[in-house]
Amino acid sequence: MARLNDDAQWIVLMGFIVSFSFFFLALVINQSTVVGQTTAESVIEFPKNDIRDVREAIGKSMKVSSGFEDVRSDIRIISMNRKSAVVNYTNSSATSPATIWIHYNNGVTEYNETWTKF
Amino acid sequence: MVKNDGGQLYTIEGFAAGLIMIITAYLVVNATSVYTAGDTHINDMQLEALGSDALRVMDIPVSNDEHSLMQDIIEDTDIGVNNLTFGTTFSSLVNNKTGSSRDHIQFTANVSYRSTGDTIDSYLLNNTRNLSGGEHSVRATKWVIVDELHGNVQPRAVLVEVLLWRD
Amino acid sequence: MTDDSGALSIDFIAGFTIFLLAFIWVLSMIPGLLIGLQAYTIDYDAVAYRTGVMLVEDPGEQVVAYPYYPWQSYGDQEKEKAIRFGLAVSKDTPNILLQDKVNRFFCVTTSDPAVGFVYPKDYKDRLIFGDYRFNISLLDQGQTLSVGDVRPVNTSYGYIRRVVKIKSDSNATIDNPYMTTHSFIKSDPVLTHVFSIHINNSKLLGEIINPAYQIDPPREQMTINITDLDDFLQPTVTLTAIKICTMVKNPSSATCYPLTSSLSYPYVDGSNTRTSMPAPVNENISLRFNPQYFNDRISAGVGDIFIVLRFDLSNPGLFLNNTQALPDFDTMNAETTFFNPGTGIVNPNTTPFDYNYYPENVTQPRLRDAVLEVAVW
Repeated sequence: MARLNDDAQWIVLMGFIVSFSFFFLALVINQSTVVGQTTAESVIEFPKNDIRDVREAIGKSMKVSSGFEDVRSDIRIISMNRKSAVVNYTNSSATSPATIWIHYNNGVTEYNETWTKF
Repeated sequence: MVKNDGGQLYTIEGFAAGLIMIITAYLVVNATSVYTAGDTHINDMQLEALGSDALRVMDIPVSNDEHSLMQDIIEDTDIGVNNLTFGTTFSSLVNNKTGSSRDHIQFTANVSYRSTGDTIDSYLLNNTRNLSGGEHSVRATKWVIVDELHGNVQPRAVLVEVLLWRD
Repeated sequence: MTDDSGALSIDFIAGFTIFLLAFIWVLSMIPGLLIGLQAYTIDYDAVAYRTGVMLVEDPGEQVVAYPYYPWQSYGDQEKEKAIRFGLAVSKDTPNILLQDKVNRFFCVTTSDPAVGFVYPKDYKDRLIFGDYRFNISLLDQGQTLSVGDVRPVNTSYGYIRRVVKIKSDSNATIDNPYMTTHSFIKSDPVLTHVFSIHINNSKLLGEIINPAYQIDPPREQMTINITDLDDFLQPTVTLTAIKICTMVKNPSSATCYPLTSSLSYPYVDGSNTRTSMPAPVNENISLRFNPQYFNDRISAGVGDIFIVLRFDLSNPGLFLNNTQALPDFDTMNAETTFFNPGTGIVNPNTTPFDYNYYPENVTQPRLRDAVLEVAVW
């Protein structure tokens, strides 16, 4: 019986070897994808300007001549509505020593600060 | 005479092998994704820093016990009135560069305040152009404490929001 | 014997060539696969942002050691005591820069360490913290100050731009109208006239606590200009000596001693160098005390200071005079000349010029807009 002539099958075999190694390489690379965060993304994500700004606004609100509660409600409600951040603060002159407590939370970063007057 | 075409085997095998490799390569390269760095974030960060800086600088009084420019602007602006002082000041702060050229940053600014029933209303303060929706914009905000708002003389807190983008 | 006469060159080469070509082409696609894994390029924008924050939002840092001068007041011989640059007035006032720090930062030299900070090494050690090329520019009142190389045109670079305010120094000008309004011209027919200036550091720091508007002699340069002296020449006037009188309330003490620090000598008649005394005066005197001088006094527990100038005229007549030096200038007793710090009793014949927060006396520090750009590549 005539055998199938398989003299040149080594060429196809080379082809297959290269293909398989290519697949393997792709698999390895696929598993090694690095997930990271660029510096710019971390800068945007951290609310440095927001916290600084709200601290200064709270400081100014402590010095208003009247309407402290209105200003506090303004800051709380506008913050929740427009900045998606929970801001709350107290000016506890009822306690002794007088303390100011500031709380900020935008869902990713939380910030608390307490001042005590001696 | 018998045509000896035994060598065609090599050719065919060669073709086949080549075809296999090329198809594989094509499939593989299409499948793995190339991870590009988030380039837009750098521009966003620069714009946000610039907008926040400009708003903050406008809210610093020039000397002690004075109103800041921002406070005067908010107190003097009625709803529906375009405040040109804000427009020119903010535009020059944000677009001035140390070289001779200027930047081309556009913006639209709103003021948000708390009105009756704890609802938040906004009104336009000034803009260089109406937003058409296709711009990739960044938001910068600033709290301003004012002594009167829309005619009511009472300390209030409002939020100035500015959307910035480059053309 | 196999007859492989047909499996010869052409067919074999053809087939193998096709295979090889395809193989090579596929190999060349592998780098495209690996792009996602290449080593990260340096994020120049991050370096620029960091540098911008350090300059605009941080006051800088100096060695923590007596006498605790701020970094910008160290002279060129003590430059290494400035550890990190920062232009902000204080940590609590970001985006507000101090004029003195701006002046010192942009005082750049490439070779002579006695002139300013050496570019690039001093800047790389204190600000950039890396081997990058950089350019920092400040646009202030139409002038551009710059440190570093020219920005490249063809390559990309990391960049940040910040908007800031610059706090100018305070100064006082005592001119003829001022002297007349405040009765600083005495027409006593005497040869020796004494003029004093009162700088109460504790009061200055207590009246206004916001660093953005404060007059802060130990940390910020202040200038007192005495002008229009040519209106009163007799014909010649000599600035003979300057004394410093310090007042301490508790325990009560008041002492006067000559000014010996040559870094605080006056500039006379618009000269560029400080003059030692006695010195002839024709037109004006500019007092620019080195902030370190006030810093030293504060460190020694003294905040209340009088600067006392003695003028000697060639002919007796009227001149700048607001101090009754008792018993006389050379043996001046601060308690009787000015006031007793313990009892508070004041000499009514002495009305020193008070460096304070009233705009009609002193030009207050003002804030003006500026733009800072940082480029790193």
